[in-house]
Amino acid sequence: MNNTVIDAHNISRVYNPETIPVYAINNVHLHLEKGEFTALVGPSGSGKTTLLNLIGGLDKPDSGHIIIGGTDITSLRANELINFRLHNIGFVFQSFNLIPVLTARENVEFIMLLQKVKRKERDKRVIQLFKQIGLEDKMNNRPVQLSGGQQQRVAVARALASKPQFVLADEPTANLDSAAAFNLLDIMAKLNKEENTTFIFSTHDQRVIERAKRVITLVDGKITADTAAVPLTNHKLIVT
Amino acid sequence: MLFAIAFRNTWRNRARSIIIMMSVAIGLFSGIAVMALYNGLLRSRVRTVIEAETGHIQLHAANFKKDYDPALFLHNGINVLQQVRSLPDVKTAAPRSITHGMLSTPTGSSGVQVNGVDPETEYRVSKLNRKIIEGQGFSAAKTNEIVVGKKLAGKMKLKPGAKVVLTFTDTTGNIVAGAFRVAAIYQSNNAPLDEKNVYVTMNGLNYLLGIGNQFHEITLLLQKDDNVKQIQNTLQQKLPGYQVESWKEISPETELMVNTIDEYSFIILVIIMLALAFGIVNTMFMAILERTREIGMMIALGMNRVRLFTLILLETLILTLAGAPIGLLIAWALTAYYNKTGLNLSILGKDMLSSFGYSTIVYPEFPWHRLAAVFILVMGTALLSCLLPAAKALRLQPVAALQR
Repeated sequence: MNNTVIDAHNISRVYNPETIPVYAINNVHLHLEKGEFTALVGPSGSGKTTLLNLIGGLDKPDSGHIIIGGTDITSLRANELINFRLHNIGFVFQSFNLIPVLTARENVEFIMLLQKVKRKERDKRVIQLFKQIGLEDKMNNRPVQLSGGQQQRVAVARALASKPQFVLADEPTANLDSAAAFNLLDIMAKLNKEENTTFIFSTHDQRVIERAKRVITLVDGKITADTAAVPLTNHKLIVT
Repeated sequence: MLFAIAFRNTWRNRARSIIIMMSVAIGLFSGIAVMALYNGLLRSRVRTVIEAETGHIQLHAANFKKDYDPALFLHNGINVLQQVRSLPDVKTAAPRSITHGMLSTPTGSSGVQVNGVDPETEYRVSKLNRKIIEGQGFSAAKTNEIVVGKKLAGKMKLKPGAKVVLTFTDTTGNIVAGAFRVAAIYQSNNAPLDEKNVYVTMNGLNYLLGIGNQFHEITLLLQKDDNVKQIQNTLQQKLPGYQVESWKEISPETELMVNTIDEYSFIILVIIMLALAFGIVNTMFMAILERTREIGMMIALGMNRVRLFTLILLETLILTLAGAPIGLLIAWALTAYYNKTGLNLSILGKDMLSSFGYSTIVYPEFPWHRLAAVFILVMGTALLSCLLPAAKALRLQPVAALQR
């Protein structure tokens, strides 16, 4: 059985190709399998976010191919790509990016509505997801009524609502305090373990790196290391 | 969900949205008020034309109106008048002897149309008695009385009891003159006509013209305005040698107004809505710019262009349509009120309005027949207003938008 989720070949992304070319991503190969819990690490400007944008179909490489679940997303047109993202990729952004006028529940439901999931199934999935992120009692709160950590947990639930092939998280703990960060990581790790959800996240945060099963290091747009993560340090589970 | 997002987004910047909604309400109210006022003015003008100037239909001998030759009276006029009065749709009919001549006083003279009338029937058709502002009108005993318009009276410095001389040609072409005493001064809603038309008794005029008991014109008032064409055709068939004209033919400028005023007032509404569209475009642009990151996020999550356009269209529609019922309601309420009480425009000057043939009291009419068009116009404004902001949003690239 083929467990490949992402297969990226020779991908490059060049800014200012006609003046002073800057290789944000330079001839990168990447292979990820289902159930991975992978951290993309590297200094600022190393290309972590660009690589996530490319494999998330938010940006197009200047060369190379990205195959997700057997579909070459580099050959898709804009509208096809939007539809592909809707059904195959979950996103968690650094600054939460929930829709402020919707409640937490509606934010999670939003994706399923775009997917035209029936109400009964939506309701079931929403309740299940809120249980998993431990925010059943905050379902009807607007984002502004939630803490940063709670908002990011809702964002994780939203990312998972569409039952994507994988979830991309760009610096998910960057705006969180330690307790909230650990809590979020626990939830993500639990989802990875229990539901075999594939997570790829870019991070500077050592706490996140320690929880990853695989760590890919980027420097100047190139992968310089691809290793199993440093064993976990003991930490206390904190629930906010 | 799209509607919920659009609705809630509309209220994110409450003050801005309320200003736009009130602008739409005021704009729509103004447009409809103009339409209602025009409708009222038009109806008033048409009523003035029919009830005070021409009646619904007029009968003359063929070619009479070419030169107003007094010899061209209606043959068998009395029989024709009886026939006309016997028609079921005819409310009343009045005969008139007409000639053109000169009204002279010791201080000056003025060209006039002399209308010889039977006071009793004339009062029913043109309601001349209701327009009298000075004097008593015709008395039964005297045949040499004259009723003159206010404008002419002012010009010739006439008062009730003053003496004037009317000079004109009789049926044989001889110049005849008669002395008349001013019995009353009238004022209609049409100052130019007041200056031109004087009324004397038919007996007095016919004596001078030498036409016995004949007359030149029959003016008809019908039971309903809608029957004009039908009665005109019936009369023309029954009286083939006579000229049968409807008020639309006698007063073509009024007919032109009837046919075009709707369009004019609608154009005004279109201009108002276009001006509003700029305000709405500006608001929507601001909304898009403020939410660039959010829109980028929605595109990233999988919201396609059609849905994004729908969202922006819905927001614009809500913004526009929320103000529309308020504007419509205010317009309807004020129109209904003034339709009952009448809107007094005398502040603009009674003489000014009457010089154009309008009454100073106008009864605005809500343009129900234009409601569908107004609704389409409002929707069109919303659609037009959302196009540019939508184009801006649709061009957003998620990566660039998320970085803002």
